[in-house]
Amino acid sequence: MLLFRSEEHVRRWAEGRGIPLGGTLTPHQGWRLADAWFHDRLDLEWRRRTPEEAQALFASIGLTGPFWDLLG
Amino acid sequence: MVASSGDVDSFDRSIRLEVYRTIVADGDPPAAEDLAAELRVTPPEVEASLRRLADAHALVLQPGTSAIWMAAPFSAVPTPFDVSVGDRHYYANCIWDALGIPSCLHADARIDSSCPDCAEPLQLEVHDGGLQEPADGVLHFAIPAARWWEDIGAT
Repeated sequence: MLLFRSEEHVRRWAEGRGIPLGGTLTPHQGWRLADAWFHDRLDLEWRRRTPEEAQALFASIGLTGPFWDLLG
Repeated sequence: MVASSGDVDSFDRSIRLEVYRTIVADGDPPAAEDLAAELRVTPPEVEASLRRLADAHALVLQPGTSAIWMAAPFSAVPTPFDVSVGDRHYYANCIWDALGIPSCLHADARIDSSCPDCAEPLQLEVHDGGLQEPADGVLHFAIPAARWWEDIGAT
């Protein structure tokens, strides 16, 4: 997951490498995702999310559709 | 700290937490021998725990070794995601993880990266639990979510 200057820079970079465009987030969406995902990582009782829990988290910040699908 | 490897789940939690404590304090992950000395167990017990944690996707080891490569959001090797927290510097595995460092530390941070297309330096800052304005840029995920763990290094 990389940080680009703009959508235009993402497109140019992907085209130059023959890579399909993937999923894009605003920095604020990225922060919400990171904060929800990592806020408890240093807790002794931390456990990995189930795919269902991760899917619900993605959906809560607007990450839906085939690219974000974990459940098939 | 004294840990018993008799209760595998509890032992693995202790190992995982000690890995993170060391990274946060030192910037680098501990070697298996150091974890063994800290937790008063044997290196093979630690190595077995690290492999279980890697199998559970709680850590990533350097291929073919028991050396820790990633303890997300932290990277044991330099990356283009430099996260400053006070006078400490950490490397993150990606921009998602870079934002995860201030989250898991519950601390303010500055993230220094650069645009992979044009190499322009880019910064994001987190203060008081929120992203500071201006928060410019676009995060791009190249690999669909269901395939992230097929090659986590590339992801």
